[in-house]
Amino acid sequence: MTEELQIIVCIKQVPDPHYLSKITIDPVTKTIRREGIPAVMNPLDRNALEEALRIKEQLGGRVVAISMGPPQAERVCRDALAMGVDEAILLSDRVLAGSDTLATAYALSMAIKKLGSFDIVFCGNETVDGSTAQVPPQLAEFLKVPHITRVRKILSINRNELIVERTIEYGYMKLRVKLPAVIAVTKEINEPRLPTVSAILKCYRKEIKKWTVSDIGVNPRQVGLEGSPTRVIDVFSPEVKRKRKIFEGTTDEAVEWIIEKLHEAGII
Amino acid sequence: MEFKLTPEQEMLRDTAREFAEKEVEPRVEEIEKTRKIPEDLIKRLFELGFGGIIIPEEYEGSAAGHLARAIILEEIAYSCPALAFTLQIVHLGQAPLIFHGTKEQKEKWLPDLAKGKLIASCAVTEPTGGSDVMGIKTFAKKENNEYVITGRKCFITNVHLANIHGVLAKSGEDPRHMTFFMIEGDRPGVKPGREENKVGLHGCNTGELILDNVRVPVENVIGVEGKGLRVALTAITNVGRMGVAATGVGIIRRCLDEAVKFANQRVLYGQPISRLQAIQWLISDIYLRYETARLLLHRAAWMIDQGIRADAEVGMVKLTATEGAAECASKLSSILGAYGIMEEYAAQRLLRDAYSLIPAAGTNEIMRIVISRKAFERAT
Amino acid sequence: MPKEWKGIMTFTEQRFGQIEEVSLELLGGARTLAEKTGGDVSTFLIGHNIKNLAKELIAYGADKVFVADHPSLTYYQSDACTKIFTNLIHEQKPDIVLIGATSIGMDLAPRVAAKLQTGLSAHVVKLEIGPDGILRQIVPGFGGNVMAVVTCPEKRPQMATVRPGILKKIAKDESRQGEIIELDVKISEEELKAKTLEMKIEPPPELPIEKAEIVIAGGWGICDKECFNMLKELAKLLGGAVGGTRPVLDEDLIKEDQMIGQSGKIIAPKVYIGFGISGEMHHVVGILDSDTIIAINIDSKAPIFDFVDYGVIGDAKEILPRLIKKLKEKLERKQC
Repeated sequence: MTEELQIIVCIKQVPDPHYLSKITIDPVTKTIRREGIPAVMNPLDRNALEEALRIKEQLGGRVVAISMGPPQAERVCRDALAMGVDEAILLSDRVLAGSDTLATAYALSMAIKKLGSFDIVFCGNETVDGSTAQVPPQLAEFLKVPHITRVRKILSINRNELIVERTIEYGYMKLRVKLPAVIAVTKEINEPRLPTVSAILKCYRKEIKKWTVSDIGVNPRQVGLEGSPTRVIDVFSPEVKRKRKIFEGTTDEAVEWIIEKLHEAGII
Repeated sequence: MEFKLTPEQEMLRDTAREFAEKEVEPRVEEIEKTRKIPEDLIKRLFELGFGGIIIPEEYEGSAAGHLARAIILEEIAYSCPALAFTLQIVHLGQAPLIFHGTKEQKEKWLPDLAKGKLIASCAVTEPTGGSDVMGIKTFAKKENNEYVITGRKCFITNVHLANIHGVLAKSGEDPRHMTFFMIEGDRPGVKPGREENKVGLHGCNTGELILDNVRVPVENVIGVEGKGLRVALTAITNVGRMGVAATGVGIIRRCLDEAVKFANQRVLYGQPISRLQAIQWLISDIYLRYETARLLLHRAAWMIDQGIRADAEVGMVKLTATEGAAECASKLSSILGAYGIMEEYAAQRLLRDAYSLIPAAGTNEIMRIVISRKAFERAT
Repeated sequence: MPKEWKGIMTFTEQRFGQIEEVSLELLGGARTLAEKTGGDVSTFLIGHNIKNLAKELIAYGADKVFVADHPSLTYYQSDACTKIFTNLIHEQKPDIVLIGATSIGMDLAPRVAAKLQTGLSAHVVKLEIGPDGILRQIVPGFGGNVMAVVTCPEKRPQMATVRPGILKKIAKDESRQGEIIELDVKISEEELKAKTLEMKIEPPPELPIEKAEIVIAGGWGICDKECFNMLKELAKLLGGAVGGTRPVLDEDLIKEDQMIGQSGKIIAPKVYIGFGISGEMHHVVGILDSDTIIAINIDSKAPIFDFVDYGVIGDAKEILPRLIKKLKEKLERKQC
């Protein structure tokens, strides 16, 4: 273990959630149209950054943000610097395009290994684009450390372990985890800070490290489309029309029917 | 020519937008009702550095500049014009020092002004003179190393919030002989007077400043004795009018978004009213006003940042943005029909806020005079 | 495709000795898929003192139940569960592995997939076998605005987490025969690096209507205090919020910030349920962005039925108390 606490935060640039309903698919080329849709830091990644910065403020240490994405994702690295991280790294390489969660987790793990030892890797629990929530546990697997997803609260922290609460349906679980570990957070964990005007101006005077796959020893055949076990073979826009199914029957039948529909909607 | 914000300006805009959306918007109702801006919101403006945005870095500001300022004010005004206006007058209060203060004066006051420990008003207008500045009656009589100042200022924004006041006073026999002072609020004889009730910009404080034989040392004179008018006008033009304009631009953008939202939702004749040409015309008018005012705003701010004299350009945007805000709020109200005058809709507030903006920092008739001056100058 | 990967394995999730509904649905869905793929439907059951559940799983369609029972597994333990499940998959070589997209399933599945170095798709809303015999998994992206068809053509097993409510469980058949295989489980405390210490039920937080995932709204048809108390009870049960129309506000049954519509809040919850709401346009514009709209109204000609996914023609005043009673029974079973 290193002398001072080393915290890494994985961040991603995503389409602004305010504009998600404007995303459409070109029915001919089957590409996703996102023109005019602003890109922002994935909202939960800001909670991840905030938690890392709070721990640093409390216990000291160093916070490094890593983003994997196209060159424009430099913006989220700047955002992280403006919030107060010590260093920001942009992992950007054409061969990474099309990586699924497994390939992404592998690439991120190689970047993290290149940084040396760490105590905590914070991630947002999921991103607004894919919403798979798969990268944090898969990243932990590549790093051979434990993971906890859906963390809503850190109850205690010391150099060796964290005690946290994670949300589950209708309740929560309390866990103790030995460090180093990957922690994926939910929005309940904190309210992310806004950067100050000075911090914004200063973050543009700082350097962002730019890494390609060759800088971190990634096998190019293990990332991108080629390195991803999953394939997207088709995309389409969902039917938005209302189903307009009408039920008529006894009260008890109606109640059963409503409960069935609530369950189908993922509520109970 | 690049019609694009720099990355820094974009991040400033996004930050101000998020601040407005998350921290200001939920409190607008409370501000409207209590007619008071909560202290913690004012504190946040300084915490985030919005208070010190035009103060140089060596005095603990961020020196982000006038274009950055315009962008931030537009974002805050989108949610709460009263808060934007309060903030813009915070900057106006700092401006005489920034433009005309000596190194000693800047060191003495600017760091505290940047942090919000000090808030300055800028008191020029009096019952007998605003647009006609020569008509002011407040007099500063020199006695050795001191001035003794007596007079009554009116319509002074932030006067009850401020703990230091910038004051323009006559100081000689020549009616043009005026001097600008910074007067600490705790000097004997300084007292804010009545608080005005405006139809709009609720929560933004306006009132009287009473000066009764206030003794002020010569060290508190900003700029040259007898040349105070220039100090006041530089600040009012470059900061005051620009701030009014930026607030207006924020109001216009809000009108545009509210109009589009309502037109898409409201169904009449079996379809959303956005399909009706009559509504489309109103919306295109609002959109055009927004783009016109915003471009004029950014151009004028850019000129000020470059150190180019921009009196006429500032006049143009102040006029366009304030008249545009009133016109657009009125059009929004038309689109909304009866909802346009209901309190639960923003339209009526935007209309009142827009009208309250018009006379600020010089009437639009004065703006036209300033603009015409340049029109004649440029003729060959 | 390597030959030895065959059949479908599901993950059975139980909490406090109760099988999660989604796990039974997975078995039902697996049975349907198995008609095309052939092979067994097996399931993995993990916990402590849960052997008695194995028979139920067979009754719901499992041919084989692999049981991991150990005192350390009273609660879900990610490290142990990952290890045992991964080993089982290595050994049994199922062609397809299905896991419920719950807070626990979503914690387990990605890690298992990474250990197996195979593909995994998340929150699947539809599963089908393509003409090539490969599993097609339909997943939502960009907040549900885009759907994608995902496959895992080369690596095995093909893994997916499936949203609750998507697949249909089959009718329980106590006479079904199946095999129960008890796994030899050894767990050392050392292995539990992320250790679950406790698991608690807590009531969902009360939220304003624009933030709630479930909004229960009342209209003129149920405009009395008693009904609104029931709406509140229902909202509490489901972790939702109560809203209403303007007439209901005028009767002081809701507060200003609970009014939905043109002059009130515009909401976009996962589910909106309207009781006794006729569907005037100024209310309806406030609910159009809801994922699912359910309405109960006695008048079959009420305009609301033009906007619903599911409409019930019936007396909201009668349905409401019965619905609450039924839901209570259901949830209590879940939480005991």
